[in-house]
Amino acid sequence: MQSGTRAKRQSAWHMLASEFSEATLNEKGSGEYDPSFVITKLGAKVNRVVVAGLLERLEVRETSNGSTLYQGQMRDPSGVHYFSVGDYASESMRELTLSLVEKTEVGEPVLLLMVAKSRWYQTDEGAVYTSLRPEEACEIDAQRYALWLTRASEDTLQRMKHYSDSLAAEPTREGLVAAGIPEHMIDGLLVSRNHYGDIDVETYTLNVMQALDIAEGRMDAASQPVAAPTPTESDDAESTGTDSGESEVKDTLVSIIEQLDQGDGVDFETVLTNAVARGFDRGLAEEKLDELSNEGTLHEPRFGWFRIVG
Amino acid sequence: MSEKYETHVKSILSECPDADPEEVAAAFEKYETEFFIPPQDAMRSILRRFKGDKTPAPSGSSGGSSSAPRTTRKVSSLSELKGDDKDIEIEVEIISHNIRDQTIRGEQKQIAFGLLEDNPWEENGQKNRWEYKDWGPNSNITPGSVVRIEGASVNEYQGKMSLNINQSTRIAVVREGTRPITAPGEPQDIGSLPSDGYVCVVGRILASRPDQIHRKDGSGSIDIVRGRLADESGTIGFLSWEPLEHEVGTLLKIEGAQVRTFRDTPELNFGRTTKIEIYHDKNFSDADTLSQQTVLTLSELRDGARDVDAVVQITEWTKRSFTRDGEERFLWSGQIADPTGRCRMSAWSELPITEDKLPLTVRLKGVRVRAWQGIPDITVDNADQVEFLDAPPWDSELDLTNHTAEVELFELSTGASRVGVSTTATVVSVREDSGFIQRCTECRRVLRDGACAEHGPNDGNTDIRLRLAIDDGRSSVSLLTNKDATLSLLGMTETELQDTVNDLGQVAFVQSLRGKMLGKTINASGRTIVDEQGAMMLADHAAMVEEDAGLRATEIRAQWKVV
Repeated sequence: MQSGTRAKRQSAWHMLASEFSEATLNEKGSGEYDPSFVITKLGAKVNRVVVAGLLERLEVRETSNGSTLYQGQMRDPSGVHYFSVGDYASESMRELTLSLVEKTEVGEPVLLLMVAKSRWYQTDEGAVYTSLRPEEACEIDAQRYALWLTRASEDTLQRMKHYSDSLAAEPTREGLVAAGIPEHMIDGLLVSRNHYGDIDVETYTLNVMQALDIAEGRMDAASQPVAAPTPTESDDAESTGTDSGESEVKDTLVSIIEQLDQGDGVDFETVLTNAVARGFDRGLAEEKLDELSNEGTLHEPRFGWFRIVG
Repeated sequence: MSEKYETHVKSILSECPDADPEEVAAAFEKYETEFFIPPQDAMRSILRRFKGDKTPAPSGSSGGSSSAPRTTRKVSSLSELKGDDKDIEIEVEIISHNIRDQTIRGEQKQIAFGLLEDNPWEENGQKNRWEYKDWGPNSNITPGSVVRIEGASVNEYQGKMSLNINQSTRIAVVREGTRPITAPGEPQDIGSLPSDGYVCVVGRILASRPDQIHRKDGSGSIDIVRGRLADESGTIGFLSWEPLEHEVGTLLKIEGAQVRTFRDTPELNFGRTTKIEIYHDKNFSDADTLSQQTVLTLSELRDGARDVDAVVQITEWTKRSFTRDGEERFLWSGQIADPTGRCRMSAWSELPITEDKLPLTVRLKGVRVRAWQGIPDITVDNADQVEFLDAPPWDSELDLTNHTAEVELFELSTGASRVGVSTTATVVSVREDSGFIQRCTECRRVLRDGACAEHGPNDGNTDIRLRLAIDDGRSSVSLLTNKDATLSLLGMTETELQDTVNDLGQVAFVQSLRGKMLGKTINASGRTIVDEQGAMMLADHAAMVEEDAGLRATEIRAQWKVV
């Protein structure tokens, strides 16, 4: 009905990886040129994002039809973005990708900022994955990364506020307008609530806290790949490393699981992210999580999901 | 094997006695095993196939269909229908529904019309929209509801298909409407009217004057009445194709007026079927109160607006002469401003303005707005429309000559075209054609492959610009910085920029700009052009905004209480 809105450029969301990767809902208009969207739990209707993080992997994959596809992953404090750059990308994007491949091959850390289109994919089994197609990207320094983190944090907090405001409102367009929800959030919130049901926003708060820690320079976690902790790293970490700290780690892990368990247990990644957000070293937390399982304090009802015994 | 389908095969054979029972059974099996269609659902398809196969189409157009039972043809998509299809069945969503009185064969009757859409169940599926006419009219057709229409016919007129819902058509409501329904005859607020469609309003006449429309082919002119109508929510211009003798100040109820949008301005059209009557409501605001609403700021001017009142400051004023029909004529024009921005004004009659008295504050009454290249231009047709004020109603210290108003990007992108504005947003794109460009020597268009779309190949004049997209999370605006703004933004001279581009090549040069700007905050000032394609800002100044991440993080913690 709104003629002309079709050709308009879609606006870009500043978003942490956790919110984007947890999305399992999409929307595609009926027209050939209608934009497609990924709709997140917080109700963001995402066609385009501004994201940043540490480039963790970037590999070339030959496809069956002879075209070249680069696949990569980029980590921010909340999780990982998956992205791909194919022959369809602009010349400058492909050139940049080539230079980044060289850097990742020699293990040179790269902080990347990209403006990307959202993609959505469903497997035959019904599992849903989101990914990104970068349009433009550039390497950034830690200072710019920090600025991006503050912006993504602030926007996430704003969306969490809109989300919680929307819970008290009548689940109609009019109800959300009356509750003061801005126009750009309304369509997304209406369908996200329907699709995701009740969600736990606590993990997003923790993601934001960690992002702000980095922005304030309290952690140097982001400049090193989180997946490969080194022993020296844990020695350097401020609040861990001592014997008395070890039981503290365990207590914290137990309380995290206690807090976040909604009946199915809490997954590995969430437990560790939360522990890191509270200032513990990731490697140490991982080790203690194992110990707690072995001791019988925790059990794993499913692989990678932890519950408190009893 | 065929026993399984025996009853179904029998019913097919009763319709198509020539069909081979084995073949029919095989068809049922194929549907069930290969497409998971149970026999009862496959019946219609198989029947159609064997009828088409075995029986020649009934010849002769003598309408001898009375012998064969009338079968309703069920379709799921409007695209399956042909212009002469009759007696079809389809499930659709009713998009709009309007009622109007019409005299049919001397009898006053109500008929309904509107839009419907097929494929109502698949949320994101392919959908077609058709118009429909309901001759019933059926009371259970309401906007937003999904209905099954049984026994409608297709109407084709000048290549356009629509659906006729006849008196014998059955309407079954499958899902009640969920949208807010505006019952016909229920007045709507003038401030929130749709941009097209039929509406009912109650409003007071603020302006009314006879006018004429000259037919383009020279075959004469039509007398019309133009004016303006208001309620407490807003005002709207109207055009009546029928005589309208109500005076200014009269309160009217108007049913069945059509909203049409001309240029960027919606307008009410009154025609033969519009019902206009005097309305009585003692509490309705009087004309003086309502006309306050027609006072606009420059930020609110829309192309095509009429009867506009505004208080502005004239900062420049010049007289021009031109010749039309061998006679010398004069036009006065200049720059005007208010605290929300700047624009142009033109006058067709002389105003008592001399250069030494500028700036002058004036109240404009009943003027009209035209836009030229996206910049609004107020037109004053006679001197009575301008009243000189002693002092501006805003802070008189404010120098409006070079004033820029800081406006949120979202407001710029959704508002009217404006001059003298600045905004702050994130850079989300640096286009490949940023840097040096060649402009057509005739029209300043950017040359593509050394040629202008209008004036063909030419050498062009070198110019410098950046083409960016900026974004505030809610809206996106295309930002073009001019030569001066580009050089000061990059901190380079033209020579330095030329050396950089030569050094790096165009692709790497643009990539280096992304390295400097992508994801960062920029502040730009200039003018905006807003049209159907979106919003564009032409900037004569732009600068990156430097921010301190640590400080921002601490502020965010305090503001959102996250610790």
